[in-house]
Amino acid sequence: MLIVALAATLAAGISVGSERLSLFDLTESQRAILFDIRLPRVLLGACVGASLAIAGAALQALLRNPLAEPYLLGVSNGAALGTMLAFVFFEGSSFARPILAFAGAGVATFAVYQMARSRTGMNVERLVLSGVIVTTFLSSIIVLLTSVLEAAKLRGFTFWLLGDLSQATYEGFYLTFAAATVGTIVLSSQARALNLMMIGERDALDFGVEVGRVRLIIFGLASLLVGTAVAASGSVGYVGLIVPHLVRLAIGSDNRMVVPLSAFAGAIFVVLADTVARTAISPRELPVGAITALVGAPVFIYLLRRN
Amino acid sequence: MLSAYEISISYGNRDVVRGVSFDLRERRIIALIGPNGAGKTTLIKALNGTVPVSNGSIDLDGRRLDSYSRREIAQRIAVVAQENETKFPVTVLEYVLAGRFASGSAFGWESESDISIANEAISKCDLVKFGGRLMNELSGGERQRVVLARALATNARILLLDEPTANLDLEHQAMMFRLVRERCQTCRAAAMVITHDLNLAAEFADEVILLKNGQMFSYGGPEDVLTERNLNEVYNVQVLLDENPASGKVRVTTIF
Amino acid sequence: MLVTLAATALVLLSAGCGDTGPHGPLESEVRRSIVIDDLGRQVLIKRPLVRVISLAPSVTESVFAAGAGDRLVGVTTYCNFPAAAGSIEKIGDTQTPSIERIIALKPDIVLVSTASQLESFMQTLEQQSIAVYVTDPKGIGGVIENVRILGKLFGTDEQANKEAAGMEKRAALVDERINAGERPKVFVQISREPLFTIGKDSFLTEIVERAGGDAVTKGVPTAFPKLSKETALAMDPEVILLSDSEDNREPNEVFRSSKAVRNGRVYRINADIISRPGPRLVDALEQIAGFLHK
Repeated sequence: MLIVALAATLAAGISVGSERLSLFDLTESQRAILFDIRLPRVLLGACVGASLAIAGAALQALLRNPLAEPYLLGVSNGAALGTMLAFVFFEGSSFARPILAFAGAGVATFAVYQMARSRTGMNVERLVLSGVIVTTFLSSIIVLLTSVLEAAKLRGFTFWLLGDLSQATYEGFYLTFAAATVGTIVLSSQARALNLMMIGERDALDFGVEVGRVRLIIFGLASLLVGTAVAASGSVGYVGLIVPHLVRLAIGSDNRMVVPLSAFAGAIFVVLADTVARTAISPRELPVGAITALVGAPVFIYLLRRN
Repeated sequence: MLSAYEISISYGNRDVVRGVSFDLRERRIIALIGPNGAGKTTLIKALNGTVPVSNGSIDLDGRRLDSYSRREIAQRIAVVAQENETKFPVTVLEYVLAGRFASGSAFGWESESDISIANEAISKCDLVKFGGRLMNELSGGERQRVVLARALATNARILLLDEPTANLDLEHQAMMFRLVRERCQTCRAAAMVITHDLNLAAEFADEVILLKNGQMFSYGGPEDVLTERNLNEVYNVQVLLDENPASGKVRVTTIF
Repeated sequence: MLVTLAATALVLLSAGCGDTGPHGPLESEVRRSIVIDDLGRQVLIKRPLVRVISLAPSVTESVFAAGAGDRLVGVTTYCNFPAAAGSIEKIGDTQTPSIERIIALKPDIVLVSTASQLESFMQTLEQQSIAVYVTDPKGIGGVIENVRILGKLFGTDEQANKEAAGMEKRAALVDERINAGERPKVFVQISREPLFTIGKDSFLTEIVERAGGDAVTKGVPTAFPKLSKETALAMDPEVILLSDSEDNREPNEVFRSSKAVRNGRVYRINADIISRPGPRLVDALEQIAGFLHK
């Protein structure tokens, strides 16, 4: 059913934009608008949404915390910093961005993990706290960099940092599509183990889960997913937090269903948000991250109070 | 089935358990008793491989414990420990089905036989009316029984229980031990139980290990371990020992 | 005897009223007056204004054009024109000037543009009795008039008026040269990715129009909007002006089939002269007119 909804959303996204397009009889330039600009952007939005949503779902299960989110844990910021460094030092290369973003996300995740380890094993509270420390630390480096960089480069970044799909290319789409697909498949394969880990790390160990290995896989995948997403579109916030939550409210906590469904729901969410971002103040544009935050924050507060 | 030879377990520089040896054979129940901090929980954790031993060796079904994967261990040893509260909505059935993880495939969904095994464990623990409910809707004692059901659902032949009767009422305390003994006898299983209730230990255990400061103070049958002198030295209390008129087992009464 | 007393009294009185000696102008030579700045604020100044600080590159250029460049004792790190500005002491940049250094330089007046965050340091400067004058020239007419106003402020009227007259003449020449019939569609690209252009609140829009072009984005609100690529593509401009900076060397991808790119009518223009509301706006006007009407 969600697949149908996704198809519908994609179709809606494609048919709406700052320029009106008739469905048939497309002129040359209208075709260019559709295929060169709108289509890759909508497809990228879907993949970014899927990636961020399943990264969030997996991290929440792993850390046993419904509030775990790539952004809160510093993974997004690590990826953003990596992307910025790619931009500053490797301007020409289109490979540099996702690679450095992945590296940045990985480094941030590793830092959080190391900080949170203690003699008695991984403590969830410590992990979340370490995540906050790493996030804020990386945030300040990013702010420092944006202050020091010249005004010309600064302009582009401020917008991008808030989540911006306007630079969508087919390359970016292929990359995030690959990451999202790999991510969904691998995470779904670990879903049963995640179900156990959600209950408790000790329980998971006792009942046969190779906890260390699963943790590594999840962290690695989350870095990959968040890294490619951020490299393509900046930090789109709240997707990894809200989408899995809502999915769980609808169908329960079994990760074998939560993970794939979050992928679709995340795709829908971001495509919708981006459609608003593209058309609300047409012909000007808003950053898509602003829309997801506008929607996400109140939903988040509502969810917090329900608990 | 499960034997330990001169094992020591340390946290950093400190030896939490030292020189413990025992042999858990099929159809046997060993009670593990001792004051708080004596190292009982640590010992249990080492027995299923979640905590490493610094000295000595543990053998499971003829092979060294550390030669098994976690999945293989989970197929042979099931744990009943204090329950972790989860912030996610999990139903009782889902919780118990976790016990079938080690015998299934990682990708797959539970088979029909998995579900029927889980349901059987649920009914044995008197939880049938809670099957579809969420864990956090149950009381502490009810959740404790779910934890037992999960362990039973594994069909593992070794059960390790860490104070399984802590939150249970009288009816369910007796039920818990009876279930464990029944499992041991009908499935040729074995169990080691940490308990503070010396009378329950005397009633159900074939052997008792009395642990003090990480070392085995005494090891043997209940009548041999539960003596006035032992209990006085280890627990610092005066006790009165007599015979339980119903079962003939030793009965411990503390003199306050 | 009375005369002596009176004379002594007179001397004593006049000594009390005035500053003595070589540290500054005699009190009687300093004229206090109140002037109104471009925001309508009343600014109390003490003429002659000898030590001047500028907090924006556009202001620095205007002060030099008005003939008072030699009075500048402090400018921002981005003040790179004219060349003489390079040797003046730097006091930070427009957004974050060093208040301490400003105060240490003991200026008679501090000239700021509306790009500065006024509220944050106004109070401090006012407490030090330092006059703050805000300039906000609008369009070409505004900057020309601004040069005249600065001339009056600094007492360099002659040079300032001459400069202003020269600017007017050059602008008039442009007005004559353009062909009324031909108004090519012009897109000004400020940044390539993300795609930023000029909107109706930017003075550049007026300049493009005056130079004889049809600024395609003149209806878009705000001064520097981020434009949807679809709209940009549909605009199909005949001329593309690139503000010459590192992130803007080429037109955006969406323009690759546009008339401008196909006909090679893509021009680069110095970013400083089109981003500063100062005297070089006239240079910008001339250059753009030149591009549009070859």
